[in-house]
Amino acid sequence: MLLNLNRLGWWKLVLFGITVLTTAFLLLPILFIAALSFGSSQWLIFPPPSWTLRWYQELFADPRWLASAWTSFQIAIIVTVLSVLLGLATSFGLTRGRFAFREGLKALFLTPMILPVVVLAVALYAFFLKIGLNGTLTGFVISHLVLALPFSILSIGNALEGFDKSIEDAAVLCGASPLEAKVRVTLPAISHGIFSAAIFSFLTSWDEVVVAIFMSSPTLQTLPVKVWATLRQDLTPVVAAASTLLILLTVLLMVLVAVVRKGLKS
Amino acid sequence: MSKPFLQIRGIRKEYGPVTAVQDVNLDVAQGEFLTFLGPSGSGKSTTLYILAGFEDPTGGDILLNGESLLSTPSHKRNIGMVFQRYTLFPHLSVGENIAFPLKVRRLPKAEIDAKVRQMLKLVRLEGFEDRKPAQMSGGQQQRVALARALAYDPPVLLMDEPLSALDKKLREEIQHEIRRIHQQTEVTILYVTHDQEEALRLSDRIAVFSKGVIDQIGTGPELYANPATRFVAEFIGDSDFLPCNVVSAGNGRAEIAICETMTVADIPLHGTASSGSKAALMLRPERLLLSKRQSESGLPVTVSDITFLGNNVHVATKTSKGNNLSVRLPFGHEAISGLNRGDAVWLKFDAESAHVFGQ
Ligand SMILES: Nc1ncnc2c1ncn2[C@@H]1O[C@H](COP(=O)(O)OP(=O)(O)OP(=O)(O)O)[C@@H](O)[C@H]1O
Ligand SMILES: [Mg+2]
Repeated sequence: MLLNLNRLGWWKLVLFGITVLTTAFLLLPILFIAALSFGSSQWLIFPPPSWTLRWYQELFADPRWLASAWTSFQIAIIVTVLSVLLGLATSFGLTRGRFAFREGLKALFLTPMILPVVVLAVALYAFFLKIGLNGTLTGFVISHLVLALPFSILSIGNALEGFDKSIEDAAVLCGASPLEAKVRVTLPAISHGIFSAAIFSFLTSWDEVVVAIFMSSPTLQTLPVKVWATLRQDLTPVVAAASTLLILLTVLLMVLVAVVRKGLKS
Repeated sequence: MSKPFLQIRGIRKEYGPVTAVQDVNLDVAQGEFLTFLGPSGSGKSTTLYILAGFEDPTGGDILLNGESLLSTPSHKRNIGMVFQRYTLFPHLSVGENIAFPLKVRRLPKAEIDAKVRQMLKLVRLEGFEDRKPAQMSGGQQQRVALARALAYDPPVLLMDEPLSALDKKLREEIQHEIRRIHQQTEVTILYVTHDQEEALRLSDRIAVFSKGVIDQIGTGPELYANPATRFVAEFIGDSDFLPCNVVSAGNGRAEIAICETMTVADIPLHGTASSGSKAALMLRPERLLLSKRQSESGLPVTVSDITFLGNNVHVATKTSKGNNLSVRLPFGHEAISGLNRGDAVWLKFDAESAHVFGQ
């Protein structure tokens, strides 16, 4: 090994310190929010004078919070399904196809990842204004799909690159039609890529706030938009409770990814 | 003679400006083990892929039992194939891999189970059915691949350098297995390799590929004793070539002069040559006789190196014109005792063991 921990001496302590500080820097805001969501202070005083579940009760009692959570969930699920399906089709085309500009096309599909989200949001907003999709579920789905698809293409594409086409050919010679061979052999073999694509697509939509602000209407908003809007009106610990739940779901999904990936690899 | 089982008729394949296969013609008998032998890029794999239906030929036809295969898609050709790379389905166990072609054919479960057991026995991997491919060695994986390809009793089995990823010892072991399985199942096998030893060990007949055409088809001994082209002579067995002048030619025989000092008559001639033209004389190291005594009928050469190779001794020599000729003699041969580098010796050969290749 290039870096032998046992021979570092007191540098080991320095490294340890840096690690602790970095972790704290990354985690403290999240822990702070979580602590506030259980705090009794109406004004988000820290440290909280005492602990309560009141804000969670208020959150679950308010139909507007539930409605926005449901909207977010619906959109994220539809985006996930479409993103995986389109990602599969695109990846097959990009890795198996033989045509000019293939590399160029590959790069083009990934541009939403590097384009500033605001630019995308404004463009989508202007376009949807023309065709009347702003404030609709369809509008949300399409715009989040634009953001999610690159992740899907990237992870499915990578899995497919690493999959030897001869294995699919072998299935075809065994008597499986080209489609059957893909469904019964290729898809299971690249399932880790498909799974990552699904999780990242879901999280992309679930967490997204910039595009969603442009797309939302008073009657249709996602959870992050609701958090943002509520914050602007009044500072209530219910927002902290909602944020904590948002983070919790994200963390759970990431853990799921780690566990399933380990299972799929072995 | 009955109609040939598998006929390859004038197959061509071009990739843009590249001609991968120029004009391949071949008749294969039922139950035959035929090997495509040739250097890298000579079109062996392409021919096999056309048979499998993964590539469409730009010309020609393939007939199985007298019927064209070309309009049948790959998955309906019922052909078996073992690939160069490991192609077991990674998420399925060994047993499920072998069962795959049978499940696709919707056979009843009892029949599938029986066949899987029979196939595992054939490749001597009983007890491995629950393993995943990743838990098997390369040689074992190729044996499972063989079992999977034979499970549906294909009329033809294609094998594209299935052993090239294995080390020498394992390769020889599996070559024996393949031979035994061929004899046991009587399946027709088309086998690709660029290893002449493997080709000679396995095949009934060998088709030597060169630049997209078959130079010659024949049994190993036929190719060795009677190479049709200089390329085949170089590829099967060891050989050295000497430039020579043709004195006279006719009836597939030639009289030639080498190094201006020696003429030999009645050597088998391949290609065209006429009196006065230049040609190449092929000599095999193990067919040359070496003598320390000067003789009129011998070719004078100088010993440039002597190498001990176990049961053989390899003597490298040079002619007066600077051409290299190797001689292989059994260890302990009296001609070698006391032989030193730089010694002058005389080489003789039988006209029947030599070949002249004209232009
Ligand atoms: N898809 C392709 N596109 C362009 N050229 C190709 C393609 N496939 C094969 N070729 C060319 O066709 C020729 C024959 O290739 P082929 O794979 O049949 O050779 P081979 O005899 O199997 O060689 P090897 O021993 O290296 O496997 C080669 O020159 C190769 O570069
Ligand atoms: Mg090849």
